[in-house]
Amino acid sequence: MEILKVENLSFTYPLCNEKAIDGISFSVDRGDFITVCGATGCGKSTLMRMIKKELTPLGDMTGRVFYKGRDINTLSEAETACSIGFVAQRPEEQIVTDKVWHELAFGLENMGIARDIIRRRVSEMTCYFGIEDWFEKSVSELSGGQKQLLNLASVMVMQPDVLILDEPTAQLDPIAASDFIATLSKLNRDLSLTVIITEHRLEEVIPVSNRLLAMECGKILKYGETRQVVASLRENDVFTRGMPAAVRIFNSFDLNGPCPLTAREGRDYIESNFPNTVISLEETDERNDKKETVLEFSDVYFKYAKELPDVLRGLDFKVYKGEIFCIMGGNGSGKSTCLSVAAGLHRPYSGNVRVLGKKIKDYKKNELYRECLSLLPQDVQTVFLKNTVKEELEDVKSNEDFLPYDLSGLYERHPYDISGGQQQLLALAKVLSTSPKILLLDEPTKGLDAYAKKEIGDILKRLRNGGMTVICVTHDVEFAAEYADRCAMFFRGEITSCGVPSEFFSGNNFYTTAANRMTSGYYKNITTVSDAVKIMRMNRTEGAL
Amino acid sequence: MKAFDNYNPITVFIYFASVITIGMFCLNPVTMNPLILFLSLAGAVTTYLIRNRTEGAQSHLFFFVMFILLTVINPLFNHNGVTVLLIINNNPVTLEALLYGAASAAAIIGVIYWFRSFSQIMTSDKLLYILGNISPKFALILSMTLRYVPMFEKQTQKVIQAQRGLGLYSDTDFMSRVRGGTRVFSVMVTWALENGVITSDSMTARGYGITKRTFFSIFKFRRQDIILSAASVILFLIILAGVISGSVNFKFYPEISYAGTTVISVITYIAYGLLAFLPAFTESGEELRWKYLKSRI
Amino acid sequence: MITIKNASLRKVLRIAIPFALVPAVIVAGVYLFKENSYMLISVAVIILSLLLFISGFEKKKTGTRRLIIVAIMTALSVVGRFIPVFKPVTAMTVITAVYIGGEAGFLVGAMSALISNFWFGQGPWTPFQMFAWGMIGLVGGLLSKYLKKSRVALVIYGVVAGLAYSLIMDFWALIWNNEIISMEAYLASLVTAIPYTIVYSASNLMFFALLAKPFGEKLERVKLKYGV
Ligand SMILES: Nc1ncnc2c1ncn2[C@@H]1O[C@H](COP(=O)(O)OP(=O)(O)OP(=O)(O)O)[C@@H](O)[C@H]1O
Ligand SMILES: Nc1ncnc2c1ncn2[C@@H]1O[C@H](COP(=O)(O)OP(=O)(O)OP(=O)(O)O)[C@@H](O)[C@H]1O
Ligand SMILES: [Mg+2]
Ligand SMILES: [Mg+2]
Repeated sequence: MEILKVENLSFTYPLCNEKAIDGISFSVDRGDFITVCGATGCGKSTLMRMIKKELTPLGDMTGRVFYKGRDINTLSEAETACSIGFVAQRPEEQIVTDKVWHELAFGLENMGIARDIIRRRVSEMTCYFGIEDWFEKSVSELSGGQKQLLNLASVMVMQPDVLILDEPTAQLDPIAASDFIATLSKLNRDLSLTVIITEHRLEEVIPVSNRLLAMECGKILKYGETRQVVASLRENDVFTRGMPAAVRIFNSFDLNGPCPLTAREGRDYIESNFPNTVISLEETDERNDKKETVLEFSDVYFKYAKELPDVLRGLDFKVYKGEIFCIMGGNGSGKSTCLSVAAGLHRPYSGNVRVLGKKIKDYKKNELYRECLSLLPQDVQTVFLKNTVKEELEDVKSNEDFLPYDLSGLYERHPYDISGGQQQLLALAKVLSTSPKILLLDEPTKGLDAYAKKEIGDILKRLRNGGMTVICVTHDVEFAAEYADRCAMFFRGEITSCGVPSEFFSGNNFYTTAANRMTSGYYKNITTVSDAVKIMRMNRTEGAL
Repeated sequence: MKAFDNYNPITVFIYFASVITIGMFCLNPVTMNPLILFLSLAGAVTTYLIRNRTEGAQSHLFFFVMFILLTVINPLFNHNGVTVLLIINNNPVTLEALLYGAASAAAIIGVIYWFRSFSQIMTSDKLLYILGNISPKFALILSMTLRYVPMFEKQTQKVIQAQRGLGLYSDTDFMSRVRGGTRVFSVMVTWALENGVITSDSMTARGYGITKRTFFSIFKFRRQDIILSAASVILFLIILAGVISGSVNFKFYPEISYAGTTVISVITYIAYGLLAFLPAFTESGEELRWKYLKSRI
Repeated sequence: MITIKNASLRKVLRIAIPFALVPAVIVAGVYLFKENSYMLISVAVIILSLLLFISGFEKKKTGTRRLIIVAIMTALSVVGRFIPVFKPVTAMTVITAVYIGGEAGFLVGAMSALISNFWFGQGPWTPFQMFAWGMIGLVGGLLSKYLKKSRVALVIYGVVAGLAYSLIMDFWALIWNNEIISMEAYLASLVTAIPYTIVYSASNLMFFALLAKPFGEKLERVKLKYGV
């Protein structure tokens, strides 16, 4: 049964000449799980906001949206508010009130529903999401993942038929993200809730979604049953890059047959089509030869306050000159803290940190930042001070010819008006302006599409080859596998494992790339899709003889 | 469990309103009855001690010193009264003024202690509950603000560190601290306003402002609440009647004089004693009940 | 809760009640019932006027964005204490009043007082602070036409407001210490408060000089971008 219908919808933002949305029409059935994908700036968010009447931005809009056969503009406010739920990217800012229970009740309060009914619905939802333990906590105590779950729950108490999510997992770590997606598909199955979700990380969502909507420059490129769309996008490089590993592997061979989506299907596909006579690629490994140490943590302990628990517990590691060192680990494991200690923003209460062989205590004020290292914080908005991009760059006396990439297109925009990826690049530009020897990056790729990730990755490589040392905290295993020289696993304030990607990821079972999960036990030390493809090619030719 | 924690905020409010009102009502030259004032002080301090037994002990010292000061300052400025104790540069220091000082000090510090307990018990969410019954909208804004404050404090720290990490923020000398501070503050403003819009989106998305809001809360009004509020109100009325009837009047100036001990005055005193020590009673009542229940198991 | 149908009347009342009535009643109370406590009367009256104002606010339909901005400005003025010497409450209140409106200003002022006292401890002074800062906002709103025009006027108002605040709080301290209200005593207490007042005004002046303009810009930008 058709629940939602969009008829050649177009939208133009004020003071913009090109359309952000251009003649889009599609229809959604009850119980669909639709993933909307496309490059940054292709109009996903805009489209989502057109469907949720209350959030439609200022600008001129043509075309119509129907909910259960009725134009949404003819629906009563209460109806639209209740029956179409919306969850957006940033968990923090969507929360309105200060207590979890109050947040859950908020929507129902707005509807003027009687207290006892509110109480019933809220308690029901609380049980469904299993969040009793923090029912009475105040919101500021929750982790990012919990906050986003709370947002979802407090939309669900309104009992919507359609749920719209705009990059809900962008700020979460892989584990929290996959939990969140799992919850979504559970809702979809249990309540036959219609879900429309935009994502850049497709690894998790594609398998659970039954339809895929591919967008390009405000237009629909493809819309239909997931497998078919995925298969039909085979030639399109932009989309292929963002697809799950299984799909990318499938696409790099011209075998036909159903396209695998999940890791399991991928594994089946590999085993049924490729022998494993050649088990591993010969290591081309010049990396871990001895180099000079630029950053050294020796037995560092740190906590934020006397009464609080230790955040860094005997942290102990070395980073060598001219390498990209990626740190991974769950939310709250202390990665950001580690970076800020490395940047001398916090003093450890025991153990010491050496930057370029010199104790961090011995650096004079700001001398540390002027010459040696520079930190890109997790929340890049904290580095923006001015009203335009141009002023931002002038503020740190950085000029375009010095930058490894070009921002001149954005000079007149306000730093808050540019896309997430562009904000990352702008912040990075400010950080680079101090021409540091050591570059500390905290999750530089969050909320970016595959293309922007590649761009940042290549920039890092270039800087690395220029002799800069890059230490990068990331949740993005694929990114780490692709670009890191060494990876480290952070757990409860210490580094539990560390090594070159191939060995590092082969060592992990869950916290590893999909390519590795697909091939482990069949091939050895395969981490990236390209490696997988390479070894499969070799086996194919072997098999042919 | 600590005194009053598991009572309904409205009950708590009624209680403190009545006890404090009396405390203040007697804070004037006519009905400034030492007995009532010292009952108030004693009750207030006891209540405070019940909640936080030994912690913050030094604050008591501070208030003790304050008490002494208030007591001795009055006779230095106020020269009414007949019983002259001594003369300081030909101004008389009178016994009445001294006692008056002591009494008013007791009153003031009593009220302060009542409020100390009050602010401890009346946490922000309880206050919100009360306001929510008067004006849901105001309660909502308040609740939003209460959420923003810790959030902004965290963000401020983040901004300062980010700026430091870029070598743009230094707090070596005072002026640079001020400059840095204002700089950070203006970042905060931009950030707050921008992200506030997201919040407002999520409010509209959940149908804010469509109809008149109800105000949901997790507090219940139980039997114990009815009893306690009733008790407070009744005692309050009795005392008020007693005070207004003038039978507990107490004059310091020109010389100490008070309405004689009558039935009414005694009743008033007892009533106020009860009122002032209600928390102590409920507390020990709880204790006993638990002991009893334990013994039955 | 009482409702007043006539909008204009409501507007007048909302300003008249706290602005004119309250001080009148307090003073009257003080002189009429010499017998009874000024403290009690004033606190009661003030709380009453606050409630009246709030109920009036409750009746009005306020846009979500305005609501948010009030919350944000309040939170900022509470958090802003971390800047050395600045006590941004007055400044934030005035700025909000000027750019968003008198009612918003009143709320920011009053709530800042209420909320910072969750940290500093509530007391009988809370309603007075709420009242004092609220009024600063309300008046600022009434004057917004002129204050928007000239920066100087804004700065001046900021400083005057700071002074007014100190005056009101001194007045309150006086009642609190339970002396017979006498002009001499009042003046005396003012004199003693002078150094503090000077520092306070100076910090206000600084704050306005430094932040008034960028603030205005930011608020205007948000108004423009999101149509507050
Ligand atoms: N408030 C705005 N004013 C003007 N143009 C805007 C505004 N918001 C977005 N745009 C433009 O509209 C286009 C679509 O933006 P939109 O946010 O929908 O892209 P998106 O697919 O959601 O990107 P992302 O994947 O980064 O979220 C982009 O070119 C963007 O620059
Ligand atoms: N300013 C702070 N004050 C007190 N505790 C803090 C502070 N910042 C972080 N923590 C605590 O320190 C721990 C580590 O925080 P940190 O941000 O370093 O984790 P993380 O690994 O960066 O998490 P994420 O992956 O979400 O960024 C968490 O438990 C967090 O609650
Ligand atoms: Mg988007
Ligand atoms: Mg982090």
